[in-house]
Amino acid sequence: MRIKKTLAGAALATLALTALSACGSDSDSGDTKSEGGPATADIRVWLNGADTPQEARDWLKTTFEDQNPGSTLTIEEQQWDGLVEKLTTALSSESETPDVVEIGNTQAPTFTSAGAFSDLSGQLADLGGDDLLQGFVDGATVDGTAYAVPYYAGSKYVFYRTDLMDQAGLSVPTTMSEFVDTAVALKQANPEPANFSGFWLPGQDWRNGVAFVWDAGGDLATDDGGEWTGALESPESIAGLETAQRLFTEASGAPKDGNEADPQTPFCAGEVGMMSAPGWVMGLLNDPKTGCPDLAEKIGVFALPGTDGQPAPVLLGGSDIAISAKSPNQDLAQKAIALMLSDDYQTILAQNGLTPAKNSLTSLLGDDAFAQATIAAASNAKLTPAAPGWATVEGSRVLEDLFSAIAQGGDVAELAAKADEQMNPQLNG
Amino acid sequence: MSTTIGPPRPRRTPLPYGLLVPALAALLVALGYPLAREVVLAFQDFGLAQQFGNPPEWVGLANFRELLRDPYLWTVALRSLVFCLVNAVVTLAIGVGLALLMQHMAKPVRILLQSGMLLAWAMPVVATLTVWQWLFDTQYGVINWLLTEAGIDYAGHSWLLDPLSFFFVATVIVVWMSVPFVAFTVYAALTQVSEDLLEAAEIDGAGSAQRLRAVVLPSIRPVLLVVGLLQVIWDLRVFTQIFVLQQAGGTTRDTNLLGTYIYRLGIGGGDFGMASAVAIFMLVLTVLLTAPYIWAMLRQEGED
Repeated sequence: MRIKKTLAGAALATLALTALSACGSDSDSGDTKSEGGPATADIRVWLNGADTPQEARDWLKTTFEDQNPGSTLTIEEQQWDGLVEKLTTALSSESETPDVVEIGNTQAPTFTSAGAFSDLSGQLADLGGDDLLQGFVDGATVDGTAYAVPYYAGSKYVFYRTDLMDQAGLSVPTTMSEFVDTAVALKQANPEPANFSGFWLPGQDWRNGVAFVWDAGGDLATDDGGEWTGALESPESIAGLETAQRLFTEASGAPKDGNEADPQTPFCAGEVGMMSAPGWVMGLLNDPKTGCPDLAEKIGVFALPGTDGQPAPVLLGGSDIAISAKSPNQDLAQKAIALMLSDDYQTILAQNGLTPAKNSLTSLLGDDAFAQATIAAASNAKLTPAAPGWATVEGSRVLEDLFSAIAQGGDVAELAAKADEQMNPQLNG
Repeated sequence: MSTTIGPPRPRRTPLPYGLLVPALAALLVALGYPLAREVVLAFQDFGLAQQFGNPPEWVGLANFRELLRDPYLWTVALRSLVFCLVNAVVTLAIGVGLALLMQHMAKPVRILLQSGMLLAWAMPVVATLTVWQWLFDTQYGVINWLLTEAGIDYAGHSWLLDPLSFFFVATVIVVWMSVPFVAFTVYAALTQVSEDLLEAAEIDGAGSAQRLRAVVLPSIRPVLLVVGLLQVIWDLRVFTQIFVLQQAGGTTRDTNLLGTYIYRLGIGGGDFGMASAVAIFMLVLTVLLTAPYIWAMLRQEGED
């Protein structure tokens, strides 16, 4: 009974809130309009996945509404999966567009070059200027105009079970070949359950897989004087793909055609010895609702080691934020972005294991093993090729298909050649 | 030409035309505009930049030329056709079978079956797919677990890896979702079959199979035609089921049907011109595929 009442109460409250906010936005439309939009409005912010901690969301909403009386800020959580498709449709409609969007740093070029975001060059200095993560700013700059600013960075690093490593008599690997051997040995030391992973690597996970290609000196695509071509069939790339294939077939128990979403599920089922995941996954593992605090206590971390013993070149992960060019509330959206890049907000992100958008705040990550792994992983991180048609390549899922076929034990050279052939017409837009 | 002979004509009033306006407007907005836009897009080079305001470039038939020369389109089209026909036939067979069965069921059993089918029919697609995906999950799925418990080693078996197995799972889901509609519609039609005719046939010594073939099926033929037509159209443009399964596993390139191929070209890859061209190709295919049905339906109406 009580539960029912609470539910009904919550439903009523939600209804009332919706009605109120509807009234609010109605009255706004009558306000004096300037070029940057009305003085008050409801600002819609799209954040993706569970990456941004709740504390930061609450702070942003409260602070924004305090500083801009009459305006409200609504955070709408989107899924990472299918984000580009969703933004393609939402950003092009003046009435439907969110005002502020978070977008994966490798996805940003798709939209910056299409004119979907507002020019932020004028505000760049106020937002942090040279203190901002330069690689992210460069990635979002087209012909000298910055269309997005970094939100946070966070390349993936390796989580491992200290207890299983000890039981198998293994130690933390310091080079790529040691890493692969450790992963295989860990799998052999744990024959039960059958789907145990020495290194958990689902077949579609090219974002982790590409690190092996880069470490071997290969690349996804190369630029020969303005003409992009697939580079997967180069001998170096093939060597890297073969390393990935060894991990897929001898070390991983993950589905050969699965995706990398929800690594916490197999981890908490005790089926994972090592896995490569973004830092914020630790938060999911520590949470009794989504994870398994008991097992999480036994986690150690390290940055994936490269052949030379330095951190391997992993995919530079992280997000940008941008203002939709079609948003009618440009001024207010800029204020929201300023808050998201403020030291206060970025401090909350740093305390939750996300590399802050400003270099001066990196020390806030602390100096525990997690912070060290985060910093080490980012130190040698790389971006996907800056080809104009890269989004098309990702959209057609060539790389998911390639890695999944490699995971199933296919002929690497043949598959790589096929993927190159498929990418070549797409790469140049 | 003189038209003075014959009964006096009713006075012409504009009212009937006025009454047509709302329906016509709705059709124009909901069907006409997107269709016109699609045709226009198919002759343009329309990418993401155009989506955000750049003027598009007219390219004439270039999109179609490139498309029709691409063997992949023909592979996808053939795959879609086979998938569509298999699904439509299986759905119709099971649906009609259930409808016939329902006639002979005790009322409580029939109501139970009907409620179950109604639930399946009313369930939101994405919720349904989430459940099906979990059932067929490689590592934690109930189906693998059940089969393994039953002594067949399906532990860790990926149902989506092999394209044939992928389409088997997709077929199960699509058929499961469309059978209720067929069963209900055909059952409704069966209740209209004349009892007198059946009785007369029985007296003349027709067995149950003969009665079904010679009396029941011809009486419900118009309904079967409409249901069959709808199934073919729906199964040719199937999208959600394939799209969600592709995210879960399988090889995208080997499992694309026309619907997902258009999506990957347009929304996924930002090439709206090309995607529209494929969409028009698909429209032509649908018309060709359904023409015999429509022809048969028109002829039937002519006979009546």
